[in-house]
Amino acid sequence: MTMEFKELDVRPILRDGGEPFEEIMKAVAGLQEGQGLRLLAPFRPQPLFRVMDSKGFDHDVVELEGGHFEVRFTPRMEEAVAVSENAISPALWPEPAVQLDLSDLPPPEPMQQILAAAEGLEAGKVIFAVLSREPIFLFPELTRRGHQWVGNYDQGGTAYRIMIRVGSGGRNA
Amino acid sequence: MPGATLSRWTMSYFAAALSCLVAGLILTASGFGYPSTAIEDPESLAVIHLIAIGWLGLLFAGSLLQFVPVLVSRPLETPCLSLPVLLLMMVGLGLLLTGFLGLADILPLWSWTLPLGGSVLTLAFAGLLWMVTKTLAAARPLPLPAKFVALGCAALVGVAVSGLLLALPLSGVTANRYLVGFLLEAAPSHAYLGLVGWMTVTAIGVSYRLLAMFLLSPERSRMTSRAVGWLMAAGLGIVVGGILLAGSGISSTATIYLATAIGGVAALIYGLDVHFIFRERKRKSAEMNVLASLAAVAMLIASFVLFEASALSDLPIDLARPAAYLFVFGWLTGLGLGQLYKIVAFMTWLECYGPVLGRAPVPRVQELVNERRSSAWFLLYFGATVAATVALIAAAPTVFRWMTLAQLAAICALVFEFAQARRLAIVPQEIRLPDGVRHPQLFLPSFKGSSQ
Repeated sequence: MTMEFKELDVRPILRDGGEPFEEIMKAVAGLQEGQGLRLLAPFRPQPLFRVMDSKGFDHDVVELEGGHFEVRFTPRMEEAVAVSENAISPALWPEPAVQLDLSDLPPPEPMQQILAAAEGLEAGKVIFAVLSREPIFLFPELTRRGHQWVGNYDQGGTAYRIMIRVGSGGRNA
Repeated sequence: MPGATLSRWTMSYFAAALSCLVAGLILTASGFGYPSTAIEDPESLAVIHLIAIGWLGLLFAGSLLQFVPVLVSRPLETPCLSLPVLLLMMVGLGLLLTGFLGLADILPLWSWTLPLGGSVLTLAFAGLLWMVTKTLAAARPLPLPAKFVALGCAALVGVAVSGLLLALPLSGVTANRYLVGFLLEAAPSHAYLGLVGWMTVTAIGVSYRLLAMFLLSPERSRMTSRAVGWLMAAGLGIVVGGILLAGSGISSTATIYLATAIGGVAALIYGLDVHFIFRERKRKSAEMNVLASLAAVAMLIASFVLFEASALSDLPIDLARPAAYLFVFGWLTGLGLGQLYKIVAFMTWLECYGPVLGRAPVPRVQELVNERRSSAWFLLYFGATVAATVALIAAAPTVFRWMTLAQLAAICALVFEFAQARRLAIVPQEIRLPDGVRHPQLFLPSFKGSSQ
């Protein structure tokens, strides 16, 4: 998923002697779920960072030419982690026994490799894999075979990470 | 629960759709309907609707059932409607064709068949929209490709309603002045809503995801892609405005020209997007389905160029109808056949080998199809389509019919290739049927296994 940003340039407001805070809050209120805010300002808007942090946004600052700043406020995406309905306490899973980089394989080869890796592991072992995109057809097949999984996109939205905990039905089901 | 499974009835939609395509081309090649008769004659309308609803409508409906869940990573809502929608579409189309053939004096004329067919089709599309929009609504915020599908759904409402309103005065059940005015003016707008609004917009949206996926190209939400969406929406808005005025006897020619110009700009920008996706790909070799899609996109742009030429020039030759032919057969049909080539093999592979992946050696998806042979059929198809369009422009009906015969031959060969893939016919014997794998049905769902 690629992050979409709404843009707000507060430089004209400040140039005219206005107060941009209200505009910014209005823009934030108007953001869609998962959408970020790209703010253009003539200075580094330090006080805003705490306000936005409390609203669940991280920030990246880029200095532009002429001493101006571009700030990208990105919503923290706790909800973007997908979890299989049979997954129990993913935070307590052991370190991955197998790590796979499948990001250069066309679909459906990543699915094939992950299922093959799961077949070769004992129940309770964990696989970590990186793919170029969400393996949509793999999810139901993993659950059907009794494996648990959690997965999400990295921050740039260019790689999908998945952790799979092999289920007891994994070997000879 | 994220993820998507195989759509149970999609293969049946595809089989019905391909049957209609073959039937439509047999009629055209035998000289039935346009261009042997005028495009607004009932014979032509029968062939046009056989292709537009029977082939493209069923193809797009079946594809949506499979790909909307892929676009939003959620299972389809109320999938139990899939079979009723398929049956209603076939019955509605049958009634519609009976009505047109009645008007053409080929069958007895029952005036109720056209409006009834229109109503049944509207009901079928309502069922399709219910499944698709409910799935999309549950997945908000939507990724860009899914937004295109949503815009296409809005156009589908327009095409169904305008079609129903056209059926009423055409069948003679009403002589309402507004509807008669509508009949005289709204047909091009009805076609625009269906072919551009529903199908092209949907195809563009889905192709952003599929092309990036097959080429391992990063999927970005580009400014250009958003511009394509907004331009298409603007074009559709103008056409809807024109339709509303059409009943009052105000010609919708100007709105169609304007909408076509805007659609043409959108098509150009879309071509640019496809170029970006292709340039940024990590996978260097492009498979047949991607090459066929590229050819189809080229024909999309060419058909808009022809449309514009027909609007701007005062040449004594007809360019608009050949442009429409190239649009339907070069762009929509070319893209559809190209994607079917991949989808049929992939769905068959997943249906058969999904449950045993990792447990037994299985073929690769590419081993279900014969790419070398299929590429010859695609070459024949696209070549014949271009030649048929040129023959229409040059008003050479005999050449045109020979070229449609060549298109028909290529399509029959491709249908044979799809059937070979379904039957696992060219998979090496030793890995064809590992333990636990059964032969798939040709086009019906298997009532066991993972294809729920």
